[in-house]
Amino acid sequence: MTRELVESWFNKLSIVERDLPLLIVSGIAYTPRTTLNEVKRGTALGKHLQALIEKKSFGTNQIEEQTLAKMRLRDILIREPEKPMFVTIQGVAPRAYTPKQLLTEIDANSKIGRQWTNNEISHMRRVLAVR
Amino acid sequence: MAKPNSFLIIEPLEHYLSYGSCVLHEVVQANRRSGQTIIELVGEEANPENVKNNLQTLDVGTVVGVGHGNVNVYTVECTEELVRSENAEQLSLFKGRIVQLNSCLTAQVLGPALIAAGAVAYVGSREPFWLYAAEEACASRAVRSGFLAEYEFTASLLRGATAGQARADQLKRYEQEINYWLTGEGKNHPNAAEVMRILEMNLDVSTFLGDETATPTTPARKIMAIPILLVGFVFVGAVLYKGMR
Repeated sequence: MTRELVESWFNKLSIVERDLPLLIVSGIAYTPRTTLNEVKRGTALGKHLQALIEKKSFGTNQIEEQTLAKMRLRDILIREPEKPMFVTIQGVAPRAYTPKQLLTEIDANSKIGRQWTNNEISHMRRVLAVR
Repeated sequence: MAKPNSFLIIEPLEHYLSYGSCVLHEVVQANRRSGQTIIELVGEEANPENVKNNLQTLDVGTVVGVGHGNVNVYTVECTEELVRSENAEQLSLFKGRIVQLNSCLTAQVLGPALIAAGAVAYVGSREPFWLYAAEEACASRAVRSGFLAEYEFTASLLRGATAGQARADQLKRYEQEINYWLTGEGKNHPNAAEVMRILEMNLDVSTFLGDETATPTTPARKIMAIPILLVGFVFVGAVLYKGMR
């Protein structure tokens, strides 16, 4: 993958995705925007991050994947106004979650929280697969 | 199988169900074909007794409904129970029909029970089905997107597809909606991140059971054959009339 291809990958992503942590090198999380900047500057870190994109890998183990996914969800949900907006059509007591309530579920690793966290890991793979 | 070309659409409105029902109504109106019998039960009309009466008297080939659910139960307006997996009489209402229950969790127990009781095909969710309710129902693409993907199954059936083709169309529409928010025209919408995640989760838990070859509508070519036959009769009649003169 050349620098131009990393740039093309970056440009295809939504504005929100560009600033969410996606790749981990030596325990530090990098966003697509930071990645592109490092690749443009031709740094060793940039080469490492570029290689991760080529391999469609986050550079993490399974535990770090979960942490990364939760970080991303926090970044997304914290921007939202605190009102019920995420609803499941479940059972006789329908549940509507505010962003903070959903974050509590995610942090507590409840069944609902795990559904969001596991989906986020799949979503990260989808983002890395954008070409 | 029950009567082809006939559809019962269950559209409750309470408890956030208007978010699904308004899109379902749009999808039905946009994809219906001449010669189809379509009954839409909206709001209070979508009560258990009325749904049951319509199922028994009209003997529809396809039943589509949005409603709150659990592993073994599907409910209609005001979360009133319509069918439970332990109730053979309720299950028998769906015998011979294609069934889409847009609800949470029913694919775990209720869906398989419906198939075991003779339903031809079933589509539903094995985990919670999510909807995005930051705006009023049907107010924007963001709140409609998840349902547009889910009801592509119904849209495709109305257009004459088999259950298997309709399922393929539904999965394709899910991918199209996700890509609309991820890299497409909707990517810079302020709610794109939330909407695409909801689509991904709903796609992940979506489940199809039953006969992929089942067809809810009579193929269009049979309907097209009627005018051709009429023209033929007129032609033969004209020839005979001319011969008699």
